[in-house]
Amino acid sequence: MAASGFPSTGMGTETGAIIAGPQPAKDAGLTRLRSTGLPLGLAAIVLAVWQLAVTLGHIPPVILPSPLSIAKYIYERYDILLMHAVPTTLESAAGFAIATLLGIGLAIIITYSDIAREALYPNLVFFQLIPKIALAPLFIIWLGIGSQSRIAFAVFIAFFPVVISTAAGFASVDKSMLRLCRALTANEWQIFSSVRFPAALPYIFSGMKIAITLAIIGVIIGEFITAQAGLGYLIIFATARADTEISMAAIVVLCICGLLLYGLVALAESIANRFYSAENP
Amino acid sequence: MLAVQTARDATPALGPLVSVTDVQKTYFARQGAVQAVASASIDVARGEFVSLLGPSGCGKSTLLMMIAGLERPTGGSILLGGTEVREPRREIGIIFQDATLLPWKSALDNVLFPIRILKLPIEPYRRRARELLAMVGLSDFENKKPSQLSGGMRQRVAICRALIHDPDILLMDEPFSALDAITRDQMNVALSEILETYKKTVIFVTHSIREAAFLSDRVLVMGGRPSTIVLDMKMPFERPRRFEIEETPEFTAVCRKLRLTIEEAHSGAPAHSPSAQSRGARIE
Repeated sequence: MAASGFPSTGMGTETGAIIAGPQPAKDAGLTRLRSTGLPLGLAAIVLAVWQLAVTLGHIPPVILPSPLSIAKYIYERYDILLMHAVPTTLESAAGFAIATLLGIGLAIIITYSDIAREALYPNLVFFQLIPKIALAPLFIIWLGIGSQSRIAFAVFIAFFPVVISTAAGFASVDKSMLRLCRALTANEWQIFSSVRFPAALPYIFSGMKIAITLAIIGVIIGEFITAQAGLGYLIIFATARADTEISMAAIVVLCICGLLLYGLVALAESIANRFYSAENP
Repeated sequence: MLAVQTARDATPALGPLVSVTDVQKTYFARQGAVQAVASASIDVARGEFVSLLGPSGCGKSTLLMMIAGLERPTGGSILLGGTEVREPRREIGIIFQDATLLPWKSALDNVLFPIRILKLPIEPYRRRARELLAMVGLSDFENKKPSQLSGGMRQRVAICRALIHDPDILLMDEPFSALDAITRDQMNVALSEILETYKKTVIFVTHSIREAAFLSDRVLVMGGRPSTIVLDMKMPFERPRRFEIEETPEFTAVCRKLRLTIEEAHSGAPAHSPSAQSRGARIE
């Protein structure tokens, strides 16, 4: 329509330069090779050195089993390991999920109520100063030796980073953006759902990534104290019998479970990014 | 108060669209009361472009936010189409110094943002949004996100967003002051072109004398301590306006007059304003 007026003012000239040309493909491929190759290579070297040290140095398996013997045990006894991995993973996931919901909920309360913020925030920070692991036995007293005490303990140590980073995310919203919303007569729910929450998503996910690792730690500690199954139980049980190989195998499986759970969070983040990223797909 | 209103010659028979009468704003901080606006009276007729010009901290943005309903005046009244402004109203489109776009939304979706907030049907407005983006030369960029646009382009998206729901009044709070001088000149021409197509009433806050003179029908100079409106001056230039007017002696003379008024108000000399410049003096 009025496009005729525009080019005359020179406004079109800047437009072409904004979009950067495609990166040279060769460079990108090389960078990717490096970023995956280097860490994998280093890990392989460490394992090889470990293997050689155990074999050549005649280190007894009770002190340090070799990577190959651990791998062999995992391959042969995966049924036992899997049986113990299931409760640990499920309890960690449950603790993590509750911690995330609780953390986001508390962050919403802190964001919207001045009184709640002033009452809660210093206490939450003070709470953080407690070495929370010291409280683990109390959870057994309060909630018994079932999975509920381990889940509760996992929630207890995992929710804090979610609260803090989510609250920071809600507060990160540009003040003019909020004024714009109010000028448009937006209600609080509209502001929350269309501005605050999407803006806080990167913060929420970084809190969740910390929370998932803490939730696993919480469950393992719970299993150390008392359990009839689970990888933490297996580690304690095997170590008590000086069966270091089983213990190390359980640790490897635990790492895999942790990676799996972390991967799910990262997957959720990348799905959210498809809708809420500042970059074009 | 009545005398102030009738004295304005810019008001047509219908009465002014925006009528600000003896508005005051005092902030109560721990250190005591700070008077941002001592007294301001403005009438803006439908279709008029009025600039509030003054140095930083003279209360011009505060006044604009009160007209937007985002801040409550501590005294006086603000009428919009004859009714008192108590809260934000949909007949206002607002533009800030920063474009304040949602970084995860495309330019087109950002323009449509007010439609979503106002719960209007999206589809009919999609065409209007495309028209607006075409008008500001952004047709090829409607699917780009803000991070892929330049500062000037982002601010043009913000202008489209302010126009999408067809508000009567555009309130612009130093919209181009974050842009470089060349882009800013382009934006001034662009804005006057947009307003030739979409006739709007505009209240424009700026600290650029040339910008105010180039764009406005009337320039109100704010200044003094505490702050009042010290000059209300009609801009004697024809529309449509093009860059060439800035090279005329007439334009230079107007800018000179505005500059002298600002300097005078700033140096603490008595203000020109016939109304209420002494009222707030005792508070500070």
